[in-house]
Amino acid sequence: MLLDVRDLHVEFRTRDGITHAVNGVDYAVDAGETLAVLGESGSGKSVTAQAVMGILDTPPGRITAGRILFRGQDLLTLKEQERRRIRGAGMAMIFQDALSALNPVLSVGDQLGEMFVVHRGMSRKDARARAVELMDRVRIPAAAQRVRDYPHQFSGGMRQRIMIAMALSLEPALIIADEPTTALDVTVQAQVMDLLAELQREYRMGLILITHDLGVVADVADRIVVMYAGKIVESAPVHDLYKAPAHPYTRGLLDSVPRLDRKGRELYAIRGIPPNLTRIPPGCSFHPRCPMAQDVCRTDEPPLYAVSDGRGSACHFWRECLHGPDH
Amino acid sequence: MPEQPHQPEGAIAGTGMGGAMDLGASEAVTLERAPGGPPGTGPAGRPRSLWSDAWRDLRRNPVFLLSALVILFLVFISLWPSAIASGSPLTCDLAKSQDGPGPGAPFGYDGQGCNVYTRTVYGARASVTVGLCATLGVALLGSVLGGLAGYFGGTWDSLLSRLTDIFFAIPVVLGGLVLLSVVTSNTVWPVVGFMVLLGWPQISRIARGAVITAKQNDYVQAARALGASDSRILLRHIAPNAVAPVIVVATIALGTYIALEATLSYLGVGLKPPSVSWGIDISAASPYIRNAPHALLWPAGALALTVLAFIMLGDAVRDALDPKLR
Repeated sequence: MLLDVRDLHVEFRTRDGITHAVNGVDYAVDAGETLAVLGESGSGKSVTAQAVMGILDTPPGRITAGRILFRGQDLLTLKEQERRRIRGAGMAMIFQDALSALNPVLSVGDQLGEMFVVHRGMSRKDARARAVELMDRVRIPAAAQRVRDYPHQFSGGMRQRIMIAMALSLEPALIIADEPTTALDVTVQAQVMDLLAELQREYRMGLILITHDLGVVADVADRIVVMYAGKIVESAPVHDLYKAPAHPYTRGLLDSVPRLDRKGRELYAIRGIPPNLTRIPPGCSFHPRCPMAQDVCRTDEPPLYAVSDGRGSACHFWRECLHGPDH
Repeated sequence: MPEQPHQPEGAIAGTGMGGAMDLGASEAVTLERAPGGPPGTGPAGRPRSLWSDAWRDLRRNPVFLLSALVILFLVFISLWPSAIASGSPLTCDLAKSQDGPGPGAPFGYDGQGCNVYTRTVYGARASVTVGLCATLGVALLGSVLGGLAGYFGGTWDSLLSRLTDIFFAIPVVLGGLVLLSVVTSNTVWPVVGFMVLLGWPQISRIARGAVITAKQNDYVQAARALGASDSRILLRHIAPNAVAPVIVVATIALGTYIALEATLSYLGVGLKPPSVSWGIDISAASPYIRNAPHALLWPAGALALTVLAFIMLGDAVRDALDPKLR
């Protein structure tokens, strides 16, 4: 297994108390596999990724329990210097908004080349040549001329390609893409996703795709985990999940997607708001918003029940959910 | 205008709507430089950075040009005062005490019979040296301390913040009277040292704030996620984005350091005779203000002009470096 996250807990000390951002997340990614992490804002999907990358702000953040095994090695036991060597070369991250994730005062060539200078000790000139190669790889037209340009001179799609090129530069084994297409408009989204999927196949990288966009996930992901209030509520191969969700939250998410065959009807919305992470409800954390909630949900926290081989749901009533829509 | 009404409109639409109409091929099209140049490229199609943008703004700003001209002239006469003033500022003839303008002395003579023109020209050196050196020292010390405190935060940051509070509480003139009155050396260096000692907290605060702001940018986290070390992040990613406010404050402070040098010299704790400084001359001429006002007005005027030039320069630089004012 390339990456194996086990029982990860992350909390933040804030003025209002302790925010439990991640509460026992398990997931694993193999080489060449794409894992989609789905969830709304505040579900802990980005914090988990930051913990894996080792770029969590500590303090206020703190990893209180769990292990992050990368190629069998527990990253949480490594020294900062050793982790830094893994970042970029072993695993890399693609950020949501390339405009703010690229330094405005450095040319894109400098920023792409920096990877080779930092990790490979290349000269500036060689690094620049590699930068041009990379820009060609992600299909930026006239790369040799544009290598001296600054981030603001590129369109949104092109900037995200540069971000991807930066993450890919050292051919890492694992890429974490944190909502890579959210800041782009729809047509460019598809191009960027296609490019990312293609490069992933070519280099046989593991890809963790963090998103709240169900449309993006369906085409590229192999497996999908759905996060709610810092926990995984459903984990499944992507097609099984789309066919029949085994958790009412997943069902709610799928029903909230506008569909052409339901034109004219009111769009479904999950009622309520995500829980305050300083005071997560007891029992199943989704119960205040759940249309299927029973008394047991208010008191007993559901474990991740095995629904079938390679599939799990953290709902006491996963059978009912799987077999019949009831709203 | 009526002959070619569509030319400029077409160019604007072509570049402005590219982002909204990114459809496969058209995304590539927007990347090709239109004849008018897409937003963000200079007239020659060269990439534009904050600095080249600022320089372009400055070159067209009459305030900047005027103040830069005055400053260049000041630097020139501090380096080669003899180029425009003959004789020595220390050769004085008591017989000419308080005389008006005469041949070779367009500004007249002061109470000691010294040539006011020569002394005013030679006085520039002390002011410019003190101003530049103190600013350089303050900027270096302040930005290093403030930058490190802002980046690493924690205990050192709290400690430094309280330390700057203490230094802010020291009245400059009182501090100068106390600290410099024990100094016997008659060079500019004790004065420069005193200004650095009292001036660094100002820059340190600005640098700290700028670094904290820059640190929160996504590209800092991105650089860290790609394996950059603290020193690389600080020097390569944060420093270029945090240096603009430091430059602005330092330029404006330069003028005030020159005024402070004159103040301290006037009070007798800065430079002392036989050094030549506008502060000393103003101090020496003030008892004779009724009989020989020219001996006071020329060095005072030179001082005011110098301080004004540096403050105007700082203003112009601030306008150019602050994109929000564009």
